[in-house]
Amino acid sequence: MKSDIRKVRNIGISAHIDSGKTTLTERILYYTKRIHTIHDVKGKDGVGATMDSMELERERGITIASAATFCEWSDHEINIIDTPGHVDFTIEVERSLRVLDGAVLVLCSVGGVQSQSITVDQQMRRYHVPCLAFINKCDRSGANPSRVTAQLKEKLGHNAVALQIPIGLEADFEGVIDLIAMKALYFDGDKGEKVRIEDIPASLLADAEKKREELIDAASMFSDKLMEAAIEGNVTQEMLIEAIRKGTLVRKLTPVIIGSAYKNKGVQPLLDAVTNFLPCPSDVENQALDPDNNETPVILASDPKKPLVALAFKLEDGQYGQLTYIRVYQGILAKGENIVNVRTGKKLKVGRVVRMHANQMEEIESIPAGYIGALFGIDCASGDTFVSPGISLTMTSMYVPEPVISLAIVPKDNKSEINMSKALNRFSKEDPTFKTFVSDETGDTIISGMGELHLEVYIERMRREYNAEVTTGMPRVAYRETITRHAEFNYVHKKQTGGSGQYGRVAGYIEPTADGEDFVFENKVTGGSIPTQYIPACEKGFRNCLAKGPKMEFPVTGVKIVINDGASHSVDSSDMAFQAAARGAFLEGYAKAKPVIHEPIMKVVVETPSEFQGQVMGSLNQRRGMIVAAQDEGPICVIEAQVPLADMFGYSTVLRSSTQGKAQFTMEFATYRQIPQSVEEELVKKAAEQKKRAA
Amino acid sequence: MLKSDLIFRNPLRLMGQDTEDTLPPGGFGALLARAGLGKTALLVQLAVDTLIQDKNVLHVSLGDPVKKVCLWYEEVFRNIAAQYGIRQSDRLWEEILPHRLIMTFNVDSFSVPKLEERLTDLREQNIFSPRIILIDGLAFDGNVKASLTALKTLAKDQAMSVWFTVRIHRHEAPGPDGMPAALSGIGDLFEAILQLQPEEKGIRLVPLKGRSAQVPSPLLLDTSTMLVKIEK
Repeated sequence: MKSDIRKVRNIGISAHIDSGKTTLTERILYYTKRIHTIHDVKGKDGVGATMDSMELERERGITIASAATFCEWSDHEINIIDTPGHVDFTIEVERSLRVLDGAVLVLCSVGGVQSQSITVDQQMRRYHVPCLAFINKCDRSGANPSRVTAQLKEKLGHNAVALQIPIGLEADFEGVIDLIAMKALYFDGDKGEKVRIEDIPASLLADAEKKREELIDAASMFSDKLMEAAIEGNVTQEMLIEAIRKGTLVRKLTPVIIGSAYKNKGVQPLLDAVTNFLPCPSDVENQALDPDNNETPVILASDPKKPLVALAFKLEDGQYGQLTYIRVYQGILAKGENIVNVRTGKKLKVGRVVRMHANQMEEIESIPAGYIGALFGIDCASGDTFVSPGISLTMTSMYVPEPVISLAIVPKDNKSEINMSKALNRFSKEDPTFKTFVSDETGDTIISGMGELHLEVYIERMRREYNAEVTTGMPRVAYRETITRHAEFNYVHKKQTGGSGQYGRVAGYIEPTADGEDFVFENKVTGGSIPTQYIPACEKGFRNCLAKGPKMEFPVTGVKIVINDGASHSVDSSDMAFQAAARGAFLEGYAKAKPVIHEPIMKVVVETPSEFQGQVMGSLNQRRGMIVAAQDEGPICVIEAQVPLADMFGYSTVLRSSTQGKAQFTMEFATYRQIPQSVEEELVKKAAEQKKRAA
Repeated sequence: MLKSDLIFRNPLRLMGQDTEDTLPPGGFGALLARAGLGKTALLVQLAVDTLIQDKNVLHVSLGDPVKKVCLWYEEVFRNIAAQYGIRQSDRLWEEILPHRLIMTFNVDSFSVPKLEERLTDLREQNIFSPRIILIDGLAFDGNVKASLTALKTLAKDQAMSVWFTVRIHRHEAPGPDGMPAALSGIGDLFEAILQLQPEEKGIRLVPLKGRSAQVPSPLLLDTSTMLVKIEK
């Protein structure tokens, strides 16, 4: 391991589906001599790319769990997290970005900035991750890197500046011109491993000089030295690199590199750019929260001598037990030392410490500040913080969206049942957006997550990795109930006929919350009409009603309850009595407050060739979709719509068949919205039928 | 505040500059200004005013991405909601949103036949049928007359009115018909023309053509919120 933190880079590779991230990573590992052969995603050799370590990923040609690996380039150590491109797995992307210092945004030179690139870019912005762009697939028909650079500016608002121009494009793509060194680079050898540096072809010289001027103009905004040198006409490579780096670190400049990973062109200059322009751990300011001090932010120093602060950002179940991927932000995590899990307060002894290379590993002694590694035999959940004994700091909690879809699963036999529970335990620890519980009513095991594909992948993983055969029910949408108007309640709970009596009266009103909060309880009782000791019982009584709404038994949200009057009895009033009174009051008020059902609405983005625009809009419209926008981008059209999740099941098949398989879509949760009356009636009917069947 | 109050209180309406009253079906309106004075802000206010009346608006942006157009709407709506103290503004926003559709084109790839094709798609499938089209970013150069004439026919056929933003330049002298250079020779296609002129107090909306063209304008764009207000 390097001792110089300035020579370390923790980077992520993020992009839209099928932009070639995994292929690019494979080439990076090959050129940095971490692997000795190249296997392609969906390759004919049946081996699959090194970073797609899960069997399922290889089969589907997509990256699901981000594998971490490291490599060395020009005396620098680069830790790479290969992140999944599908929006159903964005928690993985979010988590990766949380622990990274810089990222490479891979874009397709034909498809350009696509919907998922926009999502990933938003996430990078949220975590202030500096990035550079790699425009891949320049060998493809229709490749146009300048259009993609323009899209980076227009669609993502990046100050994108080209560091290279292509030598030929599409089938004639031969190499690139480096605008910093003003040299032409060609990639010779079977696998492009030999970089041949030549003079710029005369036909491209004028264009190269013009683009270099633009590059110097953009970079000189970050360096007075460069600006002066540009005026005097003596710009050096070092000055230019320094200025571009400065701009990149503050996210005010995005260097653009081009190439074709599949054709082995342009990857080595990308690695140079990673070492030259992306930050080292000490360039980045990381914050932790002090839980004992009102969660005040504390700035961490990337110093191995300070007390340890480390974040477990990913768990994997390997053949030797749980493998915990960890990023050390401060101090050093060494074998044999004691550490504390801040969430549980448990003290643990560090066992084996390893450095990961996809699914192979290398044993090491310690992980110093700024590095990413993995631990064995540590029991923890994803997102846990580890610290040295005696200090209490926690890394900021990551944004975790609520699941929007659920599915009942039933194991086929006893063996599957045991394996299923092991798998579910593991998955819910690994992925905070995946949740599991047993339904009180049916006794079924329910899994819930962020989309159809998200759950499908876990069911497949159960089958393959845990040998758990399960049958699945119909996907269920996470509906909610809420109220739409103000209503008064005044309820007396009275049971005073023999035995110990119960008495409590609760009065007040119920109304929708103003700021979209789930539940607000306010006590405005004056003069002790409800004695203070019974107020918590009232609140509890109201809260208990929220889990199952009176209308359709969906969870109730967005309700504000204010109690302002009541009555008690010196003997017969009790916590129990007031809880029951609150329940009665809730039912009374709720019925008068015009309750409605809300359903999850998804933001669906379809990218389709323009000729299918009409069909795509029609297909979304048929699904109760609201077309928000249509973006015409020449041959491609991007349609954005808001569609109820309940109507999105099986959409991928419909879209494929209506567009000859040429369109693709991504989907993410947008909001909850009231369902139309006709749909509500349908739901009521279905629920009644279900109840009948159960009875 | 009730939706009807909001409709009534719109300063544009108080000036008689109501989008629909000003423009008959098939009518054209133009918002003229130099770069950066607030053409898009005003255009979006016209849109929001129409949306609040449950009328469909098609916003065509040439050059700006959808995300940026959406941000304009959110910003203008937020400012209107704050200014008029609308309670539960989220609900009103949700109500008006289905009445809006945004289309973006690259400046070079936009053409009237293409827009017509898209509109036909939307109408035939009963997806969206606009009452007003807003076109932001159309280049008013030498070739625009043919496009505008074709668009006028389309607008008349489908009973829609169309508002344009028109960028003008300080150095351009008015045409022989007295119209700003950008509209010279095509001014007769427009039923209403409003120009934004910067002044000390703010940015004044000066009607050059239309019902209120003869009246001195009391309307200003508030430079902090970019909302139209009446000069006190």
